[in-house]
Amino acid sequence: MRIVVAEDLYLLRDGMIRLLAAYGHEVVATATTGPETLDALLKWRPDVSVVDVRMPPTQSDEGLKAALAARREVPGLPVLILSQHVEQLYARELLADGAGGVGYLLKESVFDADQFADALERVARGGTAMDPAVITKLLSSGSSNRRLDGLTEREHAVLALMAEGLSNQAIGQRLFLSESAISKYTTTMFDKLGINNDDHHNRRVQAVLTYLNKA
Amino acid sequence: MGWRGSWLARAGVGFVRACVVTGVSLLVPAVWAAGVVLWIWWWHGDRWSWIVPFLWASIGTIALIRPVCQMVRSLVEKWTGTVIPGGYREPGPVTRLSTGYWWNGHSYERTSRDALMDQRWRLRWSDPANRRDLRFVGIIPFTAGVVAAVPPAGVAGAVLGLLQPSPVARLAGVLCAVVAVGCAPYAWRIIEPVAARFLRPSPAMALGERIDELTAQRADTTVAQAAEIRRIERDLHDGAQARLVALGMSLATVERLMRTDPDQAAELLREARAGAATSLTELRDLVRGINPPVLTERGLVDAVRALALDSQLETAVSAEERLNLDPPIESALYFGVAELLTNAAKHARATRAHVSVVRDETGVVVEVEDDGRGGADMRTGGGLDGLRRRLAVFDGTLEVTSPKGGPTHVRMMVPCESL
Repeated sequence: MRIVVAEDLYLLRDGMIRLLAAYGHEVVATATTGPETLDALLKWRPDVSVVDVRMPPTQSDEGLKAALAARREVPGLPVLILSQHVEQLYARELLADGAGGVGYLLKESVFDADQFADALERVARGGTAMDPAVITKLLSSGSSNRRLDGLTEREHAVLALMAEGLSNQAIGQRLFLSESAISKYTTTMFDKLGINNDDHHNRRVQAVLTYLNKA
Repeated sequence: MGWRGSWLARAGVGFVRACVVTGVSLLVPAVWAAGVVLWIWWWHGDRWSWIVPFLWASIGTIALIRPVCQMVRSLVEKWTGTVIPGGYREPGPVTRLSTGYWWNGHSYERTSRDALMDQRWRLRWSDPANRRDLRFVGIIPFTAGVVAAVPPAGVAGAVLGLLQPSPVARLAGVLCAVVAVGCAPYAWRIIEPVAARFLRPSPAMALGERIDELTAQRADTTVAQAAEIRRIERDLHDGAQARLVALGMSLATVERLMRTDPDQAAELLREARAGAATSLTELRDLVRGINPPVLTERGLVDAVRALALDSQLETAVSAEERLNLDPPIESALYFGVAELLTNAAKHARATRAHVSVVRDETGVVVEVEDDGRGGADMRTGGGLDGLRRRLAVFDGTLEVTSPKGGPTHVRMMVPCESL
C-alpha cells in the first residue's frame, strides 16, 4: 500500500516507517506539521495515512484538523489517527461524516504489530478501527449505561468489538466463537436495541455510535 | 390632621434621635470636660496637678473610641439603612502546636486563653483602623454634634426663656421653641454623611486587607504546588521509572536467553511489551491529572465537552465557542467542572447535569447544575473549599446553592479583561 506518515517526533516517525516497510508497505511521503500533512494527503491521495493528532506549529490538534480537512476535500480518504490519548469527542468528529475509512488508535497499539497492520488494512478498505479504550469510554458513559442495561455480558462484549470496527469473523476469533454464533448474537442484539442490522462494517459502527449518541 | 400628626411624630422621633446623636458625639468631649473640672477643683497652684485629670481623660478617650464608632455605625444602619464597614483587622486562627504550646500568629503561649488575650491586645494596638477612629471621634463633636445639638438646645432655651418674667426673654423662648421644632426632623440626619465620609475604611486599610488576602493566597498556592509536585514525583518514581527499569532488565535477559531458550525469550518479550503498555497507561493518567491533553489541543469548551462525554452523568453542555482565556484560568475551571461532575455523581447521586460556559465583558462564568439530592456544603478543608481557594487565586468566586433534597447549582466566576 502507498502510505503517508505524519508525525513530528523523529524517533516515532522513523520507527513507523520501518514497521510499515517490514509489512511490505511503501511510505510515499512524510509530514511533520499540520499544513504539510494536509498538502501531502491531498497531493498523494494515499491508500491510507497514519496521522498524529498533536503537531506543530501550534502543538494543538493540527494533525486531526488536517485529516478532517482532507476528508472534506476527498470524502472517504482513509486516515488512521494515532495519539497518546483517546477522546470520545475526537472519535465522534472523525466518524461524523459517515464516509468510513477512519481509524483512531492509541500509539501503543503498534506494540501488537499484527493487529496494527490488520487495522491499517481495514481502514484502507473503507472500514473502521477504533481503539478499545475509546469504545470502553463510549459504552460506560452515563447515557449509554442505561441504554445497554438489557444486554447480556456476551452481547456487550460483541457490541464493543463491533464498535471497534471488527467483522463478525474477527469478533469470532477474538471471543473463540464461530462466525455464525456471532451473527446470531448481533441479530438478537440489534433487535433488542432497535438498530437496523447491516453487514457493511462501517455502517455497523455508525449504527452503534448513532444509537449511543441519541439523546 | 393626618399630615400634621405624622409631621409631629417625625419631629418627635427626630428630636429623640438628635438627642442621641448629641449624646454620642459629646461623650469624649464630656470626658475631657470632666477632666478640666477635676483639674480646677484640685487647683492649688501646684504646677503638676494637671497630670492626673489629663491621664484620666486620655484613658477615657482610648476606652471610648471604638464603642463610640461602633455606636454611630449601628445607629446609622438602624435609622437610614446605610451600612458602613468597620474594616477592623480580623484575628487569625490560634492553633495548638505539637509542643503543646499555642501559636496565635505572633507569639507562643502556654494556654489558649493567654494566646487569645495576647492576640487581642496586639490587634487592638496595631490596627490601622484606630487612627481613623480617633480622627472621627475628634471630628464628630464639631460637625454632627453641633448640628444635632440645635433641637435639644432650642428646647432648653425655650424652657429657660418662658420661665422668665420679662416679655423679651419670653419672645426669645418662643423663637427657640420654633427653631427646635422646625429643625427636629432634620438635624439628626447630619450623622449619616459625616459617618459615611469619615468612618469608612481608608484606602490604606483596604490595601492592607488586600495584602493580607494575597499573602494567604500565595501561601495556599505554594503549599498546593509543592504537594502536587511531590505527588507527581512519587507517581513517576514508583510507576513509569520502575517499569522502565524492569523493561530494561527483561530485554537484557532476553538477549541472553535468545540462543539458549527461544521460547522463554519470546514469553519474556510479550511480558515486556505488556509492561511498556501499562506504563504508558499510567503516564497517560498522570498527564491527564497535570493538564488534560484535550485542554491543550482544544481549549476549555471542547475539554468540558470531552469531560461531559466521559462523565457517568448524562451531561449537556452549552457554551460560547471563542473564549480566549489564559491557560491557568482554563485549567482551574476545567478541574472545577471535573470535580463538580464527580461530586454530582458520587455524593449527590445525580443522573443528569448541565454545564454552561459564558463569557461577558467582566469575566467568564461557568455554571454546573445537577438533579441530585443536594446538601453540598463549603466546610473548611473540603473539596468545594479547595475549589474556592483555587479560584480565589484569580480573584474568582464560587457560589453554591444546594438545599437538602437538591438540586445543586454551582456558579464559578473568574474576572478577566475584556477582549
